[in-house]
Amino acid sequence: MADLAPALALAETSARSRWREQLWQWALPIALVVLFLAFATADSRVFSPANLLNIAQQTSYVALFAMAQAVVIITRGFDLSLGPAVSMVSVGAAVAMTAAVTNGSDPVSVLFIGLIAGLALGAATGLFNGVVIALLGVSPFVATLGSYNIAIGIATTLSAGKPVQGMPDLFSTLLYRGNVFGVPAAIVITVIVGVILHVALTRTVFGRSLYIVGTNPRAAAVAGIPVRRVLVCAYALCSSLAALGALMLTARTGSGEPNLGGSLSLQAIAAAVVGGTSLAGGRGGVGTAVLGALFVTVLSNGMNLTRIDGYVQMVVLGAIIIVGVVLDRARLGTR
Amino acid sequence: MSTAAVTLRPGTPGRTGFSIQFAFLPVLLIAVVVGMSLASPQFYGPINILNILRNASLLTIVACGQAIVIIAGGFDLSVGAVIALASVVTAKVMGMAAAAFPGNDAAIIACGVLAGLCSGLAVGLVNGICVAKLKVSGFVVTLGTMSAAAGVGLMITSGIPVYGMPESFVKGFGRAQFFGLPTAIYVAIAVVLVMVLVQRRTLFGRYVFAIGGNAEATTNSGVSINRYVIGTYVLSGVLAATTGILLTAQVGSGQASFGGDRMMLQSIAAAVIGGVSLRGGIGRVEIVTVSALFLTILGNALNLLRIDSRLQPVFLGIIMVAAVAAEELSRRRKTRG
Repeated sequence: MADLAPALALAETSARSRWREQLWQWALPIALVVLFLAFATADSRVFSPANLLNIAQQTSYVALFAMAQAVVIITRGFDLSLGPAVSMVSVGAAVAMTAAVTNGSDPVSVLFIGLIAGLALGAATGLFNGVVIALLGVSPFVATLGSYNIAIGIATTLSAGKPVQGMPDLFSTLLYRGNVFGVPAAIVITVIVGVILHVALTRTVFGRSLYIVGTNPRAAAVAGIPVRRVLVCAYALCSSLAALGALMLTARTGSGEPNLGGSLSLQAIAAAVVGGTSLAGGRGGVGTAVLGALFVTVLSNGMNLTRIDGYVQMVVLGAIIIVGVVLDRARLGTR
Repeated sequence: MSTAAVTLRPGTPGRTGFSIQFAFLPVLLIAVVVGMSLASPQFYGPINILNILRNASLLTIVACGQAIVIIAGGFDLSVGAVIALASVVTAKVMGMAAAAFPGNDAAIIACGVLAGLCSGLAVGLVNGICVAKLKVSGFVVTLGTMSAAAGVGLMITSGIPVYGMPESFVKGFGRAQFFGLPTAIYVAIAVVLVMVLVQRRTLFGRYVFAIGGNAEATTNSGVSINRYVIGTYVLSGVLAATTGILLTAQVGSGQASFGGDRMMLQSIAAAVIGGVSLRGGIGRVEIVTVSALFLTILGNALNLLRIDSRLQPVFLGIIMVAAVAAEELSRRRKTRG
């Protein structure tokens, strides 16, 4: 009977650690609800239907870019070129569409030309990143920093630094103004993409290989996974998703903007990481990206409505990023 | 498949890439200088040379700190924001000190410079403690402090330049020249010399290499690595603040728009092109200096050749990727053979 005591103690600690693990798992959703209720009590407009729809719509853009980042963060990389690629796609699609319009094409083919041009530019950026990283062995930071500069150069040269206008109305109707049963197009598109991506990440060989490559690239190679091909595909997918987001943002502004991307690269990484995607690779997915995006959006929406100074918001966002990752560490530590 | 495994995570960092960079970069630098001198007589005009040296000095100082952090296996994205913060804090404190001790320029300047350096030190300390004690990745921590430091800089100034620094600071220091060279150059030379000594002759320098090479082995050999990791971030913060103060003295006002993402990315580019490995453990400050000079001259050359400023980032991006890819491929060839 005497040796039962340590066993009991062990069972107790493991129960406690399981409880703690559960707590950490729920830390961010709980924080999100608390944050939302706090803002709602501070300002009644937070809870209004118009604002809720606004939050949902805003989240859908951020979530799409965070999902794009999550795909490569899972493989232990990240994509600094996402923001400039968004600018480049925006300008490229707008230039292609205005050229088609002046050539007298009908609106539907103009629309297709724009969509294809935008997605092709995105895929090309991703292929460049993927090839440089996987085949030449350059670190993701340098490779995507290189394409960051290249994409900025192309975006500003193509547009001569000015917004590109003259797109058909059909474009913004399809990607921004349109709705399905009253749900705005941006939300519909993000939900569809999110569901497909979730299935791809959790149920396909490609998706599972992303996680294995991110957890242990050497083991993945030994296990016979084509590591290089998987990495190239991951970066191509990331930039293609970013290109889709860029087209949606372009439809929203109604013109091709050479600085549409701005600091989007780091914002998207921050959203993904705050949601629990690990920069050490192998953990995260659609859920963490959406959760992080929702958290960041609710935070900035609430701070805007309660009239917190924009500069203070930058400080708060910085602090949130650090706290989010510290929480993530703690969550890992309890395992 | 075995090559993929080797190239993804080489076990021990070799010196091969380093020696390539050592020969490659100066040759490239000389080629650009000779080519430009033939192409444009403006290039070797004294005004242009001083301009290049001044800009290269500012970049070098930041890149030295960045290089040390990267050698220890980290990352410092906050340097651009620290430059802005230090500039604003220096100018603001000098303005307040001028009200406290009217006429006493030495005291005013000392207060301002000290406050500016302390702001860099504070950001570096936060970075270092989060990375070392909380074991959070340097990328995310410095991403957070970058946003926070930029926000504090803008809060202090509301985005408006801060004036009210003593004339002697601007005319006697920032825009002054000794033996025909601006003060920033002397500061940069001093920083580089000290950093070379630190890397070669001090325990700190040796441990930084060791931590970047293999943090676990370093801990097992009895080095308490936390304080050295914190040290690298503090050093980077203080050096970035130094650049911020030099810029402030040169321009004559504290501005929250100094530094920024551009300076941050350039400092990392300078370190990486200068042979500092992002995997940690490899890199020499003196080559980073050559690389900072190279980047500055390259930007200057593209301007003088009247290449559209919008296209210039494309060249910078291609050169950066090419330089690192060349290093990586040569290393791979060595490990294969």
